[in-house]
Order: sequence, then C-alpha cells, then structure tokens
Amino acid sequence: MANLDMILDNINYIGAFTLFIIGLYTVLTHSNLLKRVIGVNIMETAVFLFFVSIGYIKGASAPILDQITGESFYVNPLPSAMILTGIVVAVSITAYGLSLLINLYKEYGTLELDEIISKEEKAND
Amino acid sequence: MISNHLPVYILILLLISAVTTPAIKPSSKKFRPKLVGTLTIASLLALTMFIVVWTNGPFYYNFGNWDSVIGIEFFVDEYTSLFVLAVLLISLLIIIFSLEDILHDIPKEKTPHYYTLMLLMVFSMLGMIMTNDLFNLYVFMEILSLTSCGVISIKRNKANIMASFKYLMLGTIGSVSILLGIAMLYMVTGHLNMGATSQTISSVWQMYPRNILISLSFILTGLGLKAAIFPLHVWLPDAHSAAPTPSSAILSGIVIKIYAFSMIKILFRVIGIDIIKAISINEYLTYFAVISIVMGSVFAIGQKDIKRLLAYSSVSQIGYVFLGIGIATEMGLVAGMYHIIAHAMMKSTLFLSAGAVIYRTGIRKVNEFDGLGYELPLTLGAFSIAALGMIGIPGVNGFMSKWYLGLAAFEIGKPIFIIFILISSFLNAVYFLPIVISAFLKESNRREQIMIRDDIPFTMKAPLVVLGAACIVTGLFPNIIVNVIQRALPTFMTFVF
Amino acid sequence: MKKKMKKAKQKFDQLILKIFPDIFCVNCVLVFVIYLMIILLVGIATTIGLGGGPLSLSNPDSFLSKIGSFISSFEALPLIIILLPILGGPLEAIIGKKSSILRDTLVVNTTFITFILIVLMYPQVMRGGLSFSLPGVLGFGLNFNVDILSYILAITSGILWLFVSIYAHDYMDHEKHQNRFFLWKSITFGGVLGTLMAGDLFTMFLFFEIMTFSSYVLVAHNQSNESMLAGNSYIFIGVVGGLSILLGMLMLYAYTGTLEFVPLASQLAAIGWPKYIMVGLFVIGFGIKAGMLPLHIWLPKAHPVAPTPASALLSGILIKIGAYGLLRLTISVFMPNPQEITGFLDPLWDVSRNLGVMIIWAGIITMAVGAFLALQQCEMKKLLAYSSISQIGYIIMGVGVTAYLGYMGAMGYAGTLYHIINHAFFKSLLFMVAGVVFYQTNELNMFKLGGLWKKLPLTALLCLIAIMGIIGMPLFNGFISKSLLHHGIVEAYEYGHASFKYAELIFRIVSIGTVAYYMKFFISVFLGELPEKFKNIGGEKGMMDLAMGGLALLIIAIGHVPHFLMDRFIIPSARALTYDPAFIKKYLVDIEFFTYSEISGMFWIFVFGILLYIAGTRFKLFQLTFYECLDIDKGLYKPMYNGVVSISRKFTEKFEDKIINNDVVIYSAILMVIMFFLLWFT
Repeated sequence: MANLDMILDNINYIGAFTLFIIGLYTVLTHSNLLKRVIGVNIMETAVFLFFVSIGYIKGASAPILDQITGESFYVNPLPSAMILTGIVVAVSITAYGLSLLINLYKEYGTLELDEIISKEEKAND
Repeated sequence: MISNHLPVYILILLLISAVTTPAIKPSSKKFRPKLVGTLTIASLLALTMFIVVWTNGPFYYNFGNWDSVIGIEFFVDEYTSLFVLAVLLISLLIIIFSLEDILHDIPKEKTPHYYTLMLLMVFSMLGMIMTNDLFNLYVFMEILSLTSCGVISIKRNKANIMASFKYLMLGTIGSVSILLGIAMLYMVTGHLNMGATSQTISSVWQMYPRNILISLSFILTGLGLKAAIFPLHVWLPDAHSAAPTPSSAILSGIVIKIYAFSMIKILFRVIGIDIIKAISINEYLTYFAVISIVMGSVFAIGQKDIKRLLAYSSVSQIGYVFLGIGIATEMGLVAGMYHIIAHAMMKSTLFLSAGAVIYRTGIRKVNEFDGLGYELPLTLGAFSIAALGMIGIPGVNGFMSKWYLGLAAFEIGKPIFIIFILISSFLNAVYFLPIVISAFLKESNRREQIMIRDDIPFTMKAPLVVLGAACIVTGLFPNIIVNVIQRALPTFMTFVF
Repeated sequence: MKKKMKKAKQKFDQLILKIFPDIFCVNCVLVFVIYLMIILLVGIATTIGLGGGPLSLSNPDSFLSKIGSFISSFEALPLIIILLPILGGPLEAIIGKKSSILRDTLVVNTTFITFILIVLMYPQVMRGGLSFSLPGVLGFGLNFNVDILSYILAITSGILWLFVSIYAHDYMDHEKHQNRFFLWKSITFGGVLGTLMAGDLFTMFLFFEIMTFSSYVLVAHNQSNESMLAGNSYIFIGVVGGLSILLGMLMLYAYTGTLEFVPLASQLAAIGWPKYIMVGLFVIGFGIKAGMLPLHIWLPKAHPVAPTPASALLSGILIKIGAYGLLRLTISVFMPNPQEITGFLDPLWDVSRNLGVMIIWAGIITMAVGAFLALQQCEMKKLLAYSSISQIGYIIMGVGVTAYLGYMGAMGYAGTLYHIINHAFFKSLLFMVAGVVFYQTNELNMFKLGGLWKKLPLTALLCLIAIMGIIGMPLFNGFISKSLLHHGIVEAYEYGHASFKYAELIFRIVSIGTVAYYMKFFISVFLGELPEKFKNIGGEKGMMDLAMGGLALLIIAIGHVPHFLMDRFIIPSARALTYDPAFIKKYLVDIEFFTYSEISGMFWIFVFGILLYIAGTRFKLFQLTFYECLDIDKGLYKPMYNGVVSISRKFTEKFEDKIINNDVVIYSAILMVIMFFLLWFT
C-alpha cells in the first residue's frame, strides 16, 4: 500500500504527465487542425499543472504576507507567478493559431490536413 | 553609471521603438530614418557594452537590484556581448535591405506591423542571449516564437499561412517541452537562476539522477526542434522558403542560432561539463549533428527552389554548430561558437542576394539562373563569396570553422567526424557551384552578356556589399572572433557563481 | 548596346593608334630587350659571384649601392610580388572596358614588373632564404619562405607569364570576353606565386585554392558545351583534391603540431600506421592537381578546351604546382634532420622509401599511359595534353626517386627540378605553336592540316626547336633533364630494389613513344601537302613570334650551357637539404652530360622512334578506338558524380514529403529515443 500512498501524493505530477501524453496523442493522430490546436493547449495545460504543483506543500497556508506570522509554512508563490506568465503566452499562441486557422479555412474551405495536402498537390500538378 | 545599465538600455530602446512604430505612417519621411536610427543607436550601445566587457570582464546585471536567486539576472560575458553586437549589426543590415524589398510582398499599410514584429524579434533574441535565468529564457523564447511566426504569416499567401501554422504548432510543442524540462529541473534544485542551479546540481545529481536525465531529454528535444536539427527540422523548409526575404534571412541566419546558443548555456552552465561527460550526452549530440550535416546537404541537392535549397543548407550548417557543442572540449566550443557568427553572416548574405534576384527578376528556380551574373553582378558576387565560404575555401569564414572543427575532432580522437565534414563540403560544392557557374558563365537568350550595374535600389545593394566584405574580413582575420571566444571560455567550462 | 560599346572601343583604339603607332608592339619589343639584358646581367653577376652579400660597389654611400642594400634587405617582397598581379587584375579589367590596347600593354607591363621584382629577390634568396610572415591572418599567420627551389620556379613562372601575356594580345583577338580572361589570368598568376613562395602548408593551401578557382574561369572561358563540361570536371575534381589536402593537413597538424616545411621524419615515424593515410591523402590531393593517373581525367578535357594562352599556362606551370607540392613534402616533411641520421640505411628514411616506391610506380604508369594515349590522338591540343600527362609522369617519377633513395636522392631531385623548368618552356612553346595554327586555320585536327611550313615558316622552325627539346636531342634542354632522370632511375635499381629495372625499361620505351608521336605531330601539321582551303590564310604574327622566339632562345640556351642552372641553382638547393654531401660532390658537381653512353643511348631511342612512327602510319596503329568500359572517366568518375546527385534527388522525392507530414511523430519518436538511451545506459 505504500505504492498507493505514493501515487496519491504525487497525483498532480502523474496527472500532468497523463495530460501531456493525451495532448501529444491528440496532435499526433488527428488530422483536423483545430483539434491539433486543442491538443497543443492540453499539452501546455499539463505543463502548467506540473509547474504549479511543484510549489505546493501539503498542509501549508496561502502565501499572503499579512496572514503569516511566525514559523509556519507557506506555499511557494514563485511557480504560480511564473505560470501566470505562461498562461498569457499560451492564450496568445492559441489566439494567433486560431486566427491563422480562420485564414486557412477561407483559402481551402476545410480544416483537415489530409484534404489540404491533396488540394495542394492537385494545384501543383 | 551608464555602463551598468547598458543591457537594459538596449532592450528598452528596442521595445519602445517596436511599440511606437505603428504610430507612424509608413509614407511619412520619418519612418525609415527612425527604424534605421533605432537599430544604429542600439548597435552603438552594444558596441559600448562590448568594450566595457572586454576591458573590465564579465558582469552580472540584476533587474531591480533584487538578489540573483530571487530576481532576474543578466550575465554578460565577452562572447555574449560580441554575439549581441553581431545580432544587432546583422539585423540592422537586413532591415535596411527590407526597406525596399518588403514592399513587393506586403501592402504598404502593413509595413509598420512588420517592423514592429521584427523589432520585437530582435528584442527577444537579445534577451535570450543575455539572460541568466531559466524562466526568463522561456518567456523570451515565447516572444521570439510568436514574432517569428508573425513575420512569416504577414504575407497573406496560402503557403505562408500553412507554413506559419506548422511552425507555430511545432514551435509550441518545442517550447512546452522545454518548459517541462525547466520545471523538472526546478523541481529538484529549487532555483531558476542558472548560476544557482549549477551550484546545487552536483549534489542533486547524486540524489535524483533520473529527474535530471528526463529533464535533459525534454529540453534537448525541444531545443533541437526549434533549432532545426535533422529530423526535427520539418518546419524549416516551408517556413523559410515561403517567408518574405528579410524574414527568411533573419530566421535562418540568426534565430535558429539563438536556440543553439541557449543549448550551450544550459548544457555547459547549468548542467556542467562533469555531468555531461558522465552521461555522455555529448556523444548523442554528435550523432544527431553528423546525420544533420549529411542529410541536410543531401536534401538540398534535390531542391529546385533556391530559398528551399538555402533552408536545407541551414539544417546542414546547424549540424556543424551542434557537432562543435557535442565535442565538448575547448576547441569544439570555439569552433561551434565561431560558426554561429560566421554562418549568420554567410546565410544572411545568401538569402539577401537570393531575395534581390527575386525582387529584380522574379526567378526562383535554380536552373533558371543562367546569365544572371551579368545583370546583377554585385548581388551574385556576394552570393558567390558566401557560397565559396559554405564550401570551405580559405579566405572566407566558413573555412575556419571547418578547420577548428577538424582540430577538435582530432583532439578527442574521433577523426571520423572530419570525414563527414569533408563529405558535406563536397556536397555543398555540388549544389552551390552549379548556381554560381551558371550565373556567370552560361549563355542565356534573355539578355546579352555584358556586365551592367545592378538595377536594384541602394538600400538593397549596401547590405549585400557589407555582409560580403564582412565574410571575407572575418575569414582572413578570424582572430577577431576567436580571441573573444577564448576569453569567454572559462565561463562555460567552469561556471562559477 | 554591345555594338555601341564595341564601336566606342574601336574608336578609342584608333585614337591611341594615331598617337602612338602600335604602342603594344613597341612596348613588347622594349620589354623583350630589357628582359634579355636582365637575363644576361644575372648570368654574368652570378658567374662572377656577386650573389651573396649586399651589392657593395666602390663607393658604399652612393645612390646605387644604397638602392642595392635596400633591395637586398627588403623583406616584404613576397607579399608585394603576390599582391601586384592580384590587384593589377581588376585594374586591367577596368581599363579593358575602354581600350584593349591599353589593357594588353598594362598586362605585359604588370607581368614584367612582377618578374623584375622576383629577380630582385635574388640576393636575399642566395643568402639563405627569404622569410616573411604576416601574423594573424587566417588564425595562423601567412608564412612566406623563399628558398632556391621556390625561387627558380618563381622565375620560371614569371618568364612564362611574361611571354604568354605578349602572345595573348594577338591570339585573343578572335575570342570574346577578353577582360574576364585577363582578369582571371592575373589572379591565377598571384595564386601561383603565392603557392610557390609559401612557407607552410596553410599558406600554400590558401593560394592553392585561389589558383584552382581562378584557373577554372580560364578553362570554362569559351562557354561552349564542351568547355562547361570540362570546367565542371576540372572544378569538382579540384575541390576534391583540395579537401584531400585539407584532411592531410589536419592530420599532420594534429599529430605533429606544426605545418611548416621542416624535417619531420622522426616525429612521423612515431605515429604508426595513420601516417600512411596522411601520406596517401597528400599524394591524392597533389596528384589530382598534377595529373597523375588515375586522377588525371580532367586534364585531357580541360587543356584542349581552354584558349591557347590559358592552355600554355595550365600545362606549363599549373600542373607543376601539384608536382611541386609533392616535392616540397618529400624534401621537408618526410625528410629527417641532417643531424639525426647516420647515413643511407638509417631507419628514419623508411617513410620516405615506402612513399618513394608508390610514387615511382605512379609516375611510370602515368608516363606510359600518357604516351600511349598521345599516340592515338588526332587533335593537336589533345595530343599535347596527353603528352603533358606523360611528361608529368617523368617528373613524378623523379619525385619518387628523390623520396626512395633518401640520402642519395640528390640526382633524382636535380632531374625533377630541371625537368620541371624545361617542360614549362617547351610545352608552352608547343601550345603556342598549336595556337598559331588554330588562329590562322581554325582547325584543330592534325590530319586535316598539312604543309603549313610554307605559310608559317618561322612557326614551323620554332616548333621544331621545341620538339627537339622535348624528345631530348643533345644541345637542347630536354637532353639534360632526361639524362638526369635516367641516371636517377638507374640509381634506384642499383641502390634499391631490382624491380626498378623494369621501370627503367619502360622509361626508355616511353621516350621512344615520345619521339614517335611528336614526329606524327610535326609531319601531319607542317609537312606534306597544303590543303586547298588553307592556301589563303594569313602569315606570321609579329608579337606571337616574339613570344615564341623568346622561349625558343631559352630552350637552346639551357641546352648549350647546362651547368649554369646546375651550379647556380640546383646544386645549392640540393646542398641545403639532407642529401649526402659526398654523393653530391661525386655525381652532381661538374657532371659530364655529353658522354658517349648518353648520346648513343639517345641515338638508339631516336632510331626506334622513327621506326615506330613509320610502322604506325603504315599499319594504322595510331587510330585505335577503345572499349568504352576502359575509359575511367565514363566508367568511374561520372557514375560517381551522377550517383551522388541522383541518390539525393531520389531521397528528396521519396522522403521529403513523408517527413514533413509526420512532424509530430518524429518529435515523439526522438523524445522516446533520447529518454530511453539516457535512462538505460546510466
């Protein structure tokens, strides 16, 4: 049962890795470009989850300056601050990617990668 | 006083100029001088910084005077400042080139947006070079990623949008991978500052070896994806061939090198050379590098479009840099870092001259270059000089990097690498020489064979001449760069906090 | 626009002609006279012994002696000598846009001034070598070291370039793109001088590559299909040769830490088996330039297709640079220090000996195949190209003898050096003759020509002189070098392995063949019936005859006074190397050239040669065709090159799209692979 405890303790990390693999799998297998954007988003979320959970200490309080007195533990605020930046980056990438997708849809009429490639090949011939 | 804050001045200057560029109308007279002036002042500041570092030694710059462990820190040593100077000068020349050239790719109202993106790109590149903090590296890397996709997709072509989208997706996957690696490093060392991390990493290595290995593999794969090592180079041909010429030049010439330099920083400053040799990761790097060197040239031979050919050639040349990194000795690092700057010059020259040809005649196919040497002698002269450098003729800087790589390979007792370098030199000759020969020596029925002056604007001619001359000057006097690298080597081989 | 520019040029030319009637001819004659005076002065000065110290005349403060001492201590001469043609080239091209007469005059004058500067190096060279270095360039610094070997070859190149420049003015009237030709000719001159005067391998490599690339433009000058193919062959094989030398240089530097031309045999002996790879690389690299079999295939394509002045230079000097490189390596890198050895049988000579065997046989094969193929040719310039291959075989054999005999190799060394100088003169003269014939008749096939001695009597006479030289007639210069080389190969089997007896036999047979094919050349072109269509061609051209005459005079002079070169240049040069002084004293000093055995040997060779020629024409032996598969070019090299290109193309077509479309798969795969390796193996 020590194993179960270990898994429960590190559930965040395991969840993050699982999400990463799900996201990677999405990008790998689906040929719809919108689903790929979603897949990349999932991967980014996974990494954020991983990063934030690094800072978490079980049983510690929130890192607000007034509340802490004495020698108590507080959760590491640094990763959360970093991840805010990261989320902003992820949002801007998603926005940019989606706007590119809109333009692609206007040009090709479809968002499936296979169809786009075949249309390109027909145009080249 | 001023010299303390020089890194920030450069960055702030570029940032403010980038943000205020859309406010000026492109048709106004102040537009071009403002752009060029900004970069010139930034270059002068970088030159000052280089002189300061050369005389006083490397320095740390803490943002907001927060302590290194808590705050963001910039570490400027001799090579970093030289690289910053080189990046600024080459970007200055490319932007001068683009003043006329960009107009036939995008409409005039959009040029301020383009220059915003370019200036932000330069800004983020400088940040990535100078930073000493892992998360700061990630942030600047993201800015670089976004803006470099932006300068490709600003031209509203099907191919461009597709290429930009692919670059974005793959680039994001790469960044995510790197962030995961950084996170795992943070998990075990508790620091994000490169110096602090390197101090704790030797003790951590005993306790959590697996963590560091997994994080290293994520970081290397991510950086390899962004620096375009074979086979992770897949976004490069489409992106660099479809983009407008100045973007291709800056992307192929400088951007991918920044990632290679970040890899040098992470491998040598954070992980430290002892651990690297213990897990022999440098050997794997050399294998990938060698495959990249040969396959890049092999694919380049089969290309018909000149920009795609140059893009594949970049894949091959990045392999040289990685080979230098992989041979983790002093001579190897010297070779790799010298090649970063040398190739930046050569590849920019090649792309800019290809762009000038496309601007003037619209020719993009390699087998249609007949007789162009008579119509555009200066352009193709610069192209020939850079091509000769890629092949490895002494007198141009490409030769010196091959020489140093060869010496480094012999030092570690693996002469087999030299054979690969020489094979790739021969392959480079196979695809570059026919272009140069057909440009100057083939008859074409389109024009007579009298040499006339290039009919391209002065702003396009000047960067070509300067870059071509720079290739030859750094080729004849490589010690200009090599001395700087050798001064900076101790900070890589044994990083002391 | 072209016509307008041409008209402007012609007007300018006519303007100049009005002011100075034919300034070019006047200039050339003046140059020629001054040149003769210089040669005579040098000859007299060296005989009296004025070579050594500063020119001290009776009044040490006089202006002349001040100039003299300035000249004899001005160290940067090599740099100026190299820069003068390299910078003069673009200047000539710019002036050439305005007027071709001014340009040609400038070309001749620049070459002449360079020649004078080379001559001025004499005092310092005689004092023990002229060293000059430019630190910092190319990371290592450029090193120039002019010893007697480099000096004599530099003078030869200077003389050759001078005469070719005089010749080129008239010849290039019929060609296009003259400015480009003269520009790259000058740059090649700079490259050649740089290679000759280099003091270490690095500098030599720099100028070697410059020379290869600039001579490419000369080869591909005509821009016809044939020229482009020949040029492609030339430059790709040239690049491979350069890369081979680079690899050899890297190995040498990595193992011994120096690239200078100093005796390194003891360090080499300590290396073990990699030294053979290194030696092999150097031999391949320099052999490609020299035209050694089986790397010679670019020669028969490139030399005929270039314009004649360029062919003369290519055959005259450029292929000798390859042999010079080999010679330089043999006498410096592979040669031990004089203090370290005990004599002929010292084991330090082993590297040199093994190298020598390989090179001697390479030379013999080159000689034989070259002569054999030369017999089969019907085109003038191709025959001369194959003859060049054959003669380079002689020279390479000489280099091999030098290496093989080690301590006693002085005879081989003397023969090699002498033959390099001689061959430069008579081969370029022969090419110039072929050029004159082509210029007047526009025909290169020997069997369609004939009886031209009526129209071009002086050319025929000069051709005869050159042929007398190359076949080794006594009283012409070829006799001297061939007998020296013959002595060398005889010593090889006397002091060494007995199998070289066969080498000597092949040597004699090839000399017979040489007589035969040159008889074929002369008789088909100049004797016999004059074909109808050539009854009205022009006659001799003054300046071309002047150039050819100058070379012919040299051939005759060297033939009559062989000891001049031997005593002044070759023996001092040999003494500076690690050769047995007693050997030199006994065999080389005051060597008797005109002995009965030598002359009778030559006589029999001539008789057999004439017989071979008669047999050949009677039995149609001279027009054999070959099986295609024996042709190395089509059989080996072209498939290799096409293979590289086609493999790349196939790769690209098949795999490129697949790789691009499966991008993320590749990422995950690489990630897995790296993690697996890292985790598994640590």
